[in-house]
Amino acid sequence: MWIEIAHFSALLAIVLTILQIVSSLYGVTSNNNAWIRVGRHSAIVVALLLTVSTVGLINSFLNHDFSVLYVAKHASLDLPIFYLATAMWGGHEGSLLLWAWLLSVYIGVAAWRHWKTHPVSMPYVLAILGALLLGFLLLVLFLSSPFERLIPPPFDGKDLNPLLQDPGMVFHPPFLYMGYVGFAIPYAFAMAALITGKADEEWLVATRRWTLFSWSMLTTGIVFGAYWAYYELGWGGYWAWDPVENASFMPWLTATAFLHSVMVQEQRQMFKTWNVFLVTTTFALAILGTFLVRSGVLSSVHSFASDPGRGVYILGFMTVLLFFSFGLLTMKSEQLETDIKLENPLSKESAFLFNNLFLLIATLTVLLGTLYPLAVETWSDSKVSVGAPYYNAVFIPIMLGILFMMGIGPVISWRKATFKQLKRDLMIPLLASIVAGFVSFAIGLHNFYGVCTVIVMAFVMFTHILDTRRKVLARMKTSGAGSAFRAFNQLISRNKRRYGGFIVHFGILVMAAGFIGSGLFQEEKNLFMSPKDQIRVGSWNLTLDSVGKASKYNWQAVEAVIKADNDRGFSVELRPQKRVYNETSQPTTEAAIHTTWFEDIYVVLGDQVKENVWSIRVYRNPLIVWVWAGAGIMALGVMFALMQGRIRKEKKQ
Amino acid sequence: MKNSWKIILLLSLVIIMALFAGGLSNNPRDIPSPLVNKPASNFTAPVLNSQETISLADHKGKWVLVNFWGSWCVSCVAEHPYLMQLAKIAEKRDDFMIIGVDFRDTIEGANTFLKRHGNPGYKHAFDPKQKIAIDWGVYGAPESYLVDPTGMIKLKHTGPLYFGWFEKVALPQIQGKTNGSN
Repeated sequence: MWIEIAHFSALLAIVLTILQIVSSLYGVTSNNNAWIRVGRHSAIVVALLLTVSTVGLINSFLNHDFSVLYVAKHASLDLPIFYLATAMWGGHEGSLLLWAWLLSVYIGVAAWRHWKTHPVSMPYVLAILGALLLGFLLLVLFLSSPFERLIPPPFDGKDLNPLLQDPGMVFHPPFLYMGYVGFAIPYAFAMAALITGKADEEWLVATRRWTLFSWSMLTTGIVFGAYWAYYELGWGGYWAWDPVENASFMPWLTATAFLHSVMVQEQRQMFKTWNVFLVTTTFALAILGTFLVRSGVLSSVHSFASDPGRGVYILGFMTVLLFFSFGLLTMKSEQLETDIKLENPLSKESAFLFNNLFLLIATLTVLLGTLYPLAVETWSDSKVSVGAPYYNAVFIPIMLGILFMMGIGPVISWRKATFKQLKRDLMIPLLASIVAGFVSFAIGLHNFYGVCTVIVMAFVMFTHILDTRRKVLARMKTSGAGSAFRAFNQLISRNKRRYGGFIVHFGILVMAAGFIGSGLFQEEKNLFMSPKDQIRVGSWNLTLDSVGKASKYNWQAVEAVIKADNDRGFSVELRPQKRVYNETSQPTTEAAIHTTWFEDIYVVLGDQVKENVWSIRVYRNPLIVWVWAGAGIMALGVMFALMQGRIRKEKKQ
Repeated sequence: MKNSWKIILLLSLVIIMALFAGGLSNNPRDIPSPLVNKPASNFTAPVLNSQETISLADHKGKWVLVNFWGSWCVSCVAEHPYLMQLAKIAEKRDDFMIIGVDFRDTIEGANTFLKRHGNPGYKHAFDPKQKIAIDWGVYGAPESYLVDPTGMIKLKHTGPLYFGWFEKVALPQIQGKTNGSN
């Protein structure tokens, strides 16, 4: 019953989406506002209808309705309710519905919020977004429907893939999709600006918050994925340069470039073509990410659901999208030309230019590494895989460049910076960073890139702190704000966007520290242990107490009990497991992890080698929690920056 | 935007899309085995549900399909109907036979599987500690190897065998119409 309501809502949504496209376009060509209004209302109704579809599917999961094929494939009676409610995106069909639903909600919100402010672009925005949504809905309903029945229903379902039964995986897809899908709105506004010929700042103002929001969601989504890999896959790491990870990282890089280069357009009316190019590329790469996961062209850990038939459809969809967007951009690029040229290589404009260049080179690096195996396989018989060595060799220097620009960008002035200013702003940070480099070498960091990273990090840290300090002092003088605290408070609340950016930069530094710690100082021990055996890792003594059985919900496991004592007398019990899930009989490793701010102790239980002997892997991962914390700080920074737009707008009205 | 940039942009789009179009026909599971055209590693192992043992070397002179499976493997269920049919083909031919290798499994598990999905009738080497599987470089199930009468591995198939596989892939090998891997 529920599933039929869901199905019919989705079908109706298709019809209304077509109406949305046609009536918006008709309205704009016939200059009849009523028709555009029809398009707008359709968009809002479509969002409601797809909400019903999504709720209907989730409800079928909650009711254990195994007469729905998708539910029977991805759930079971024993599946805990937390995973039951989120199993909706545990498979291909449901995750595409999630995509379409999120897109429809975004479209609804855009149609509602930007109606008054962007009357010229609105019909085109509605039509372009409607076409995108139509593309996805056709895929959902006719090539991979989650609404199909399975008659007669089985007594129990096949259960959710055990690897996906992890909190990281519950949040990873929705956040990632919220990011991917969110870029559709800036993209549509950019396209509308090209079509209407009003490619000025209007579309940037409309999309600033969308871009920031999507960027933060994408960041969070990527980090949730890394978190999942770390907790669930049991290999002690969190990022493997897997093609699908790369696919989510590429739009992040171009979106980051976009976030910075829009500032140049806002302030100096430069980089107009470039910005349209970046936003289009970002969205195209987001679609590419979906394509790579869903079509099965690449082998990766994400090959959970792939089907070449759907691949053909998504490929066709992407081809239309890409040639439409980039074709439009090349045809209409003349209207974006400006006479404004870079005045001086020592200026904020040029700092942003270099920031963008580095980010784009980074994107190309990842793109090449991702596509190269595919090219080799397609045009010859052999297989290759491009892994960490390539990326570490190429990517780390680029990242250092980006980090360095991060230190300069915020403090250098527009148009023309003088050497005097630069000396004032950068002298102390440069000296401090050299000191930091020596200190880090002295305390045991002997890796070339590690030391370089510390130097650049200290540089960024000091430019940010000194800049803030200087501004606080200036404010204390001019406005008579009195205490430094009040001056600081005024400063950041009047310019939330800038200081939100500072917070994000700080988050990146925290994350970089995590990368250095976990990347360069990881200790790994592989050994055979019997009960009462001891092993020392870092400042910890691990003792294997016993190996027994455990079971809960839908799994049974062999569980080791390991006592970990550190030198300061702190003691904790670790219980790594090898689980077998009842329905799928697929074994998974559940690493036991003890997290502190300083390090993680990470234990994986391997196979039983012989009577009373087990193979056990122990990792000490220093500073790994800083990676997650850094991501959290970045998200907070974006939220802070987002608050500004609203306040400013209210003042204007 | 300069014309040269426009051309570069559109051309790289065409190349990338062509690459994806070509890539769609790739099988991500199809990883070439270094063992193809190498002598098969011999094994002697107990036969499932029997006191006797089976050895690959005893069957030189015939084409042998060595099929790795386990009752824990979901795709093996999908493959099983074809193996039932292939077993009938093998019975009719005197130059072709099948040996199953049941690995990382229990006897009860294997028997339940054969009872539920049908017993194709050929012999299964029982390999609970996956010694054979490791020697042969098996990384998933099902996986099948075609061994020629001199004991050379001629091809490897990863994933379930499909209906028509024998005629399309194995027979040309047996009749000497192709050489090398597929």
